[in-house]
Amino acid sequence: MAKEGNFFGRDIISIRDFTRDQLERLFQSVEDLEKSPNSLDDLLRGKLAALLFFEPSTRTYSSFQIAAATLGMQITGFASPATSSVSKGETLHDTTRMFEGYGADCFVIRHPMPGAARFAAETTDKPVINAGDGSREHPTQAMMDLFTIRKAFGKLDGLKVGILGDLKYGRTASSLAYALSNYDVELTFIAPEALQMRPEVRHFLQQRGTTSKVERDLRNVVGGLDVLYVTRIQKERIPDPTEFEKVKGLYQVNLAALKEAKPSLKVLHPLPRVDELAAELDATTYANYFVQAAAGLPLRTVLMSLVLGGGAR
Amino acid sequence: MSEKKVEERMLVRKIEEGTVIDHIPDWKAETVAKVLRLDRLARMQAEISVAILQNVTSKSLGRKDIVKIDRWQVDQKDADILALIFPTITVNYVNQWKVSKYTPKVPDVIEGRIRCPEVLCITNQEREPVVPKFRTLKRERMLQCFYCDSLLDFDSVPDHVRS
Repeated sequence: MAKEGNFFGRDIISIRDFTRDQLERLFQSVEDLEKSPNSLDDLLRGKLAALLFFEPSTRTYSSFQIAAATLGMQITGFASPATSSVSKGETLHDTTRMFEGYGADCFVIRHPMPGAARFAAETTDKPVINAGDGSREHPTQAMMDLFTIRKAFGKLDGLKVGILGDLKYGRTASSLAYALSNYDVELTFIAPEALQMRPEVRHFLQQRGTTSKVERDLRNVVGGLDVLYVTRIQKERIPDPTEFEKVKGLYQVNLAALKEAKPSLKVLHPLPRVDELAAELDATTYANYFVQAAAGLPLRTVLMSLVLGGGAR
Repeated sequence: MSEKKVEERMLVRKIEEGTVIDHIPDWKAETVAKVLRLDRLARMQAEISVAILQNVTSKSLGRKDIVKIDRWQVDQKDADILALIFPTITVNYVNQWKVSKYTPKVPDVIEGRIRCPEVLCITNQEREPVVPKFRTLKRERMLQCFYCDSLLDFDSVPDHVRS
């Protein structure tokens, strides 16, 4: 894994900024790391990663934290706005500038406001990795998702992928749809009208010539799917509580719901789950979500190594 | 007396300094006033007066509206935003009675003048020092927020002009 010009020094704001070739090279590097788990240890010793989480996180924060530690980096920042000056009203702009002043070599930023990551990238010359900006994008999650699907099927082209749940407010759903548009896939968006994919995502897919259709009922399509990507209803992002009440619990993916599914179906979920994905699936061959979550660590380790210009020794 | 003559007599006097926005689709002059925030402008610049002519005969449009702004040169960038909504408009700048024509062009990028329709967008957070920015999708007649990707159709622009 030589120094990777396509990633070195760049911001990771939207999965749309990456070509299929770049993604494939990233996945190859992740596979290399899986084969030689210690190959990137201490590669970025002396560098400082600022993890600024203006919205609480468990998986994404921890995996970036462990990835940075594996690379030998020092870590600063905060895991939740409650434990920072953000709770006193400090802006994203000032927070970023301040950590840049402390010598941060890169930023990993999660923020509740759409567009925050792109703005943060304008405030600093250091690379910014978007760890989720409101309801819009979560590019590193989409990279993990593609990597997981690719590993399960040995390919991405030709697959039929259903994305189910809260497609309007869920950033992982839109990032996955964007990411899959690099491949020859057939997408089905399974959600009630109120939670269907946002217009800008549909517009992008149309421009890319990606086949997508809309469906309300999982039962109508489950038999044809290779992948079912389940998402949680984003209660915290739905502005009207009555809208949430209407859609709460509308979808539950359990064994009964998958009665007509192909035996080879893989179910993914970005986690955390609430009640949309039954625990009874955990022990079945459908369940791929813990494998998916585990991919976050090697993928983010490789990504940080590439962005900060390390690569393998 | 011909209809044209009657209209000409109704038209307000020529202006020495200012802007005449012509070829506005009929009954749309108020939208132009809204986009240019003329009410706010008039409050801030007491010497400005505005004449709105509606349902005037036009060779190219059949009927049209005209907005005359005395003692104020409309910024070309604002005129370009008007071209998103009304592609037919033309702008005449008047200096010392001399008229120079400007044909507004739909810009590729619009900065600072329009609010993002996504209320949560970072550009709508008052304390963040960020200027709203849109790229123009001309074929689709839409703007797309540079930061959060939200779409705004050209016809909705008047409701999103920044105050």
